[in-house]
Amino acid sequence: MKIINVDVVVIGGGPAGLAAAIEAKKQGTKKVMIIERDTSLGGILQQCIHDGFGLHRFGKQLSGCEYADNYIEELNTYDIEVAYDTIVVEILKDKTVYAMNKKDGIIEIHPKAIILAMGCRERTRSQAFIWGTRPSGVLTAGTVQRYINIEGYLPGTKAVILGSGDIGLIMARRMTLEGIDVLGVYELMDSPGGLSRNIAQCLVDYDINMHLSTTVIKTHGNSKLTGVTVAKVDSNRNVIKGSEKYIECDLLVLAVGLIPENELSNQLELDIDPLTRGPVVDDQFMTSMDGVFAAGNVVTVFDLVDYVSLTGEIAGAGAAKYLKGELNLTEEYLPITSGENVSFVVPQKIRLTNLTEELPLYFRVRKKQEKTEVSVCESDSKIHKKRHRVVLPPEMIVEKIKTNLISENKTPLIVNVKEV
Amino acid sequence: MIKNKVINILQNTSEISHYEIGVSVSKDKIVTLTGIVEEWQEVVNIGHLVAKVKGVKNVVNDITSKDVEIKEINNDKEIAETLANGEKEQCDIVIIGAGISGCSIARSLSKYNLNIIVLEKNGDIGEEATKANNGNIHPGFLAKPGTLKAKLNLRGNKLYTELSKDLDFEFKRPGSLVVFHSEKDVKKFKMLKFLKKTGLGYFIKSFRQYMKTPGLKWLSAEEVKQKEPNLRGNPLGGFLMTTMGIVEPFEVCYALAENAIANGATFKLNTKVLDIRKTNDAVHEVITNKSVITCETVINCAGVYADEIAKMVDDKFYTIHPRRGAIAIIDKNRKGFLSTPSGVLGRSDRSHNSKGGGASVTPEGNLLWGPTAVETHDKEDKSVEASDLDYILNLGQGVTDQVKKNEIITFFSGIRAADYKEDFIIEASKKVRGFIHVAGIQSPGLAAAPAVGEMVEKIVLKQNRLITKKDNYISTRKRTPKFRDLSREQQDKLIKENPEYGRIICRCELITEGEIIDAVNAPIPATSIDAVKRRSRAGMGRCQGGFCGPRVLEIIAKELKIPHTEVTLKGGDSYVLHKESRS
Repeated sequence: MKIINVDVVVIGGGPAGLAAAIEAKKQGTKKVMIIERDTSLGGILQQCIHDGFGLHRFGKQLSGCEYADNYIEELNTYDIEVAYDTIVVEILKDKTVYAMNKKDGIIEIHPKAIILAMGCRERTRSQAFIWGTRPSGVLTAGTVQRYINIEGYLPGTKAVILGSGDIGLIMARRMTLEGIDVLGVYELMDSPGGLSRNIAQCLVDYDINMHLSTTVIKTHGNSKLTGVTVAKVDSNRNVIKGSEKYIECDLLVLAVGLIPENELSNQLELDIDPLTRGPVVDDQFMTSMDGVFAAGNVVTVFDLVDYVSLTGEIAGAGAAKYLKGELNLTEEYLPITSGENVSFVVPQKIRLTNLTEELPLYFRVRKKQEKTEVSVCESDSKIHKKRHRVVLPPEMIVEKIKTNLISENKTPLIVNVKEV
Repeated sequence: MIKNKVINILQNTSEISHYEIGVSVSKDKIVTLTGIVEEWQEVVNIGHLVAKVKGVKNVVNDITSKDVEIKEINNDKEIAETLANGEKEQCDIVIIGAGISGCSIARSLSKYNLNIIVLEKNGDIGEEATKANNGNIHPGFLAKPGTLKAKLNLRGNKLYTELSKDLDFEFKRPGSLVVFHSEKDVKKFKMLKFLKKTGLGYFIKSFRQYMKTPGLKWLSAEEVKQKEPNLRGNPLGGFLMTTMGIVEPFEVCYALAENAIANGATFKLNTKVLDIRKTNDAVHEVITNKSVITCETVINCAGVYADEIAKMVDDKFYTIHPRRGAIAIIDKNRKGFLSTPSGVLGRSDRSHNSKGGGASVTPEGNLLWGPTAVETHDKEDKSVEASDLDYILNLGQGVTDQVKKNEIITFFSGIRAADYKEDFIIEASKKVRGFIHVAGIQSPGLAAAPAVGEMVEKIVLKQNRLITKKDNYISTRKRTPKFRDLSREQQDKLIKENPEYGRIICRCELITEGEIIDAVNAPIPATSIDAVKRRSRAGMGRCQGGFCGPRVLEIIAKELKIPHTEVTLKGGDSYVLHKESRS
């Protein structure tokens, strides 16, 4: 068995892992290693050939592949080891990481710090509770994207898309361009799940209809999908009897949500936030275990890769500081909680002495509101406020807090979004 | 007179007395029913009602209902095609259907100098009821005393220990726990204990099966709590059937088939029986979509289609009424949450003609809830409806309220091949020499399977006393490596020997490329994504093949040297990919 000692091991070479590895290196960490299960870096970005990436980060619209390449090129200028085609099978509580690949067999890695950057996975048909038979032709949007963009195959001729999240919208356009007849996008909720710009560019521009408060309730066909039944739902998301409609199709594309990939976090028994379904992190994106950091979609599913990279940098810098002994690991945490119309906040807790000048908070609203004020409160006082014309659940809000405004009183911070 | 009794009961049952039902009774006490009713459920109810009449051997239920349309099967065109292509084969025994029963029989008979062909209409074996089974090797306690089911269940359960060693499949005996919450039930189970200990139970007919069931234990409230701390509420006591076992049903099926193949049996997949021809009231030829097979014995293990196969030799004396059962699998995060398949006594939501289901555990540690039991006219109706899941959730809720709906990773259903007597039919045909019925095999068909094989073996030997044993019979089978079960050192060694085991394809279940290649090249090759899943577990985890699906498809295409577009999800025309995007 091969045994390796490193300072930081980064699990996953997608956008979060790339940014984290580079940042850890930049901050003076000696031995940084990325473990990547695929044969190239970039993660899911490699199958995202559409543009819209990097507007915040690079100030221009890039494709997913180009965005990844920018980071990969930078990574190559540093002495960072990448183990390709290698998968982590287990992490022990003493931080021993077991990975494996064809060439080396089982590899036992002893890192001083770990950065979890495994990304997220797609919800499946069972989790969306679609009834009926289980034929072929029911695929998640990411799988369809892989088949079309990477492997070069079309999985059907007539498609129905369930879910109006960004991947669903992107795939509506992509399939249309490939000659697949997209019969409609169906969304259980009464508002779209994806970014407004994607609705305009992927549906409106291609005359694809979106059906809100409507869902796919049943698949038909024992062998190959022959059609789906869609139905309208009421405000409690219950099917309205009599609204059922049969649609003939041979492809049902599921874009019904993403879930942080946390097998390894669970093995380590990290504290998991039930709201994000990812590990609870602090201002350094350190998890409940000292020296174990998390970055990107493992923490919560972000809608922009730019944010994923940012959290990777925070975690990478955090790991470097941890190794240098610069992090206070004993100070009591100050919690940050979700207030009015806020569904979650990341990070969930902070240590005042570890804060830098600015503290970015990432959060989402529960429901759409117009003319709102986003505020961060400490007891009765607002330490941060900002007006937003409109807030939507699919669009993550990022607020940068001036940390010198946080008092030493150790009172929890509450994030509120209110109409004004 | 049976006929009068049947007519009497039909006229005196208020819900159905207004229907005109034709009744005829053959000399061997088979009742044939005809007529038209409103709903399918009534067809089934009438069948059951008549089957319960004393003296009735079985029921051929030709009643139709207005709410469903049942398509007549006509194989004439396909038969003509086979006859035209002229393909001919010969063997001693044809087994129709490669489910758990067919495979067990094939293995039992492969000990002898017999040329055996097993025909399977699907692209894989065990693809019907076998694969959609909860994997319980029932203790035999609940089977109705005096039935064939009861006898074979007890015997089969006992045989599993040795069989699992011989054939190297996963088998555990966690036992099965029933807990109770009322003083009344406590008393009832004390009484049972008394009857068992004193042997008095043998004097009461309805208790005889229970008296014959070994390994029964009575647990106090504390013992229940200790054994299963996560059960809902505070049970007053429990009843543990220690002989209850669990398996992965398809794994047993593959093990049996592979051992039969090692001993010379031939399995023909994608091969559908179209007709059976007789000469002088003896089986002569089986016509399939591929060839005409001349043989001396035909064993009908065709599951839900057993009645239609029997009809081909004019010996249909039972009707199979399909009963759908749905099951839900819970995420592995709950591994260890329950260690014993458990049920709660005194819940009234149990459905008729099923053991009622409950919370079970798979050998891999997933919790499994179900099954349901819903009568359906359609033998291919493998759908799951919202009502099925409501029932399943209710079952699960009875056992624990901690496991939530969103922890379900998949649900599916299969069809039980029930006859109206609700018992197994295993016998040589009285009309056609060489034809053996193995029909009505529903639960506990998996538990009984080894005993079913044994019983059919005896029938075959009785028919032909000249059959001799093979000198070179191989009684054991070894499974291919399961990477996830090895120690890190063993894994390392395996990868060094064969680097294909060094690449994980299914990250949820830790399944390697090597295991998938093994599956595709197995004695019964896994040629579809679902077949690979059942053999290797790739795609059985929480992402349900979202990640590994495309990779498994690629490996299948590569190993079978076929285009990606020809790989199917589950055989037939269930293609995953339509065409190349740049072709």
